[in-house]
Amino acid sequence: MTAEQPPPASIKRGTMNARVERIFDHASDTRSLFLSLASGKHLRFVPGQFISITIPLGDETRSRPYSIASDPGDRGPFEICFNRVAGGRGVQWLFDRRVGDTLDFSGPFGAFTLAPAPDSENGFIAEGTAIAPIRPMLKQAIAASPTPRIHLIYAAPDREHLLYAAELDALTRTAPNFSYEPVIVPADQIYDRLFEMAQARWVVGDADRTRHFYICGVGKGVIRLRDLLRTAGYERRAVHYEQW
Amino acid sequence: MAKLRIQFENGDPEKVIEFDPAKAPFHHDGKPGSILDVMLGHGVHLEHACGGNCACTTCHVIVKQGFNKLGESSDQEEDLLDRAPGLTPTSRLGCQAVIEDPNAEIVVVIPRYTINQVSEAAEE
Repeated sequence: MTAEQPPPASIKRGTMNARVERIFDHASDTRSLFLSLASGKHLRFVPGQFISITIPLGDETRSRPYSIASDPGDRGPFEICFNRVAGGRGVQWLFDRRVGDTLDFSGPFGAFTLAPAPDSENGFIAEGTAIAPIRPMLKQAIAASPTPRIHLIYAAPDREHLLYAAELDALTRTAPNFSYEPVIVPADQIYDRLFEMAQARWVVGDADRTRHFYICGVGKGVIRLRDLLRTAGYERRAVHYEQW
Repeated sequence: MAKLRIQFENGDPEKVIEFDPAKAPFHHDGKPGSILDVMLGHGVHLEHACGGNCACTTCHVIVKQGFNKLGESSDQEEDLLDRAPGLTPTSRLGCQAVIEDPNAEIVVVIPRYTINQVSEAAEE
């Protein structure tokens, strides 16, 4: 086999088929699709995992990951959440799906999942649609026993992009160990603000270095947050992150 | 020409790819010239659920020969490999391990659990 040989037209992969049951627009550029398996069965996954959707683009297909935003305990359709990105042909294809359409995917995949809870606190950091994997993780963490303190710092450029805000507010009332800091900040300053908030709360705030962290977001800002916490003395493997 | 020999733990027949690293990228997923890029560009499938963006471990490969001929791994790749089932001292993510040496002879094993078996267990 050499570079001159063309690849086969398609490569068989283990895939499942899902139907779009419902569409919900969080904002003009941010959407959730609620999917059910064509087999009629229930998708089994762990909070934090993603599916890899097969997206046809012209003569070829690509696989793109989308985090599952719903709880595995929900027996109805499962939810993926995404937003438009400049030049993003794959996500445009998803925006073009309608109720009743079907799509192929593989998975679930991913190791961005809850580790056994620390004694002290689980810290979560997210921005925009990156709340998707964290949403079911929060529910899992809250349901765990014994429940450690859980704190979420969640940033968005405006209120409509602060997804699931009412649900998160409600959790602060029903789950005594859960606290939540929403922050509205211009898009180009989101990671600077998250950095400042994480530093103030979890680095300068006290000497406890037994916490676990779960960070999800886009680009190098995620790595800055990871490095902030690790260099402050938290265990490397206690700082979990997913960089989109 | 560089040579990439691919062995499959599930018993699938071995594949051998000869290629010129200078001609990378060969496909559109993974780092240009990475093991994933070379394999996909030559019609050999390797799972890459995140699209080859160093966000999962489904392209985990075990390098049996030529480990030191590959580009260095990043902290992010190491963090992900920490959570890969069947991790070995010569594990790499196929999407990140770049073959730059035009005379490299690399041998990799695709672990049995890397081959997509997850879907079969995901319905209930």
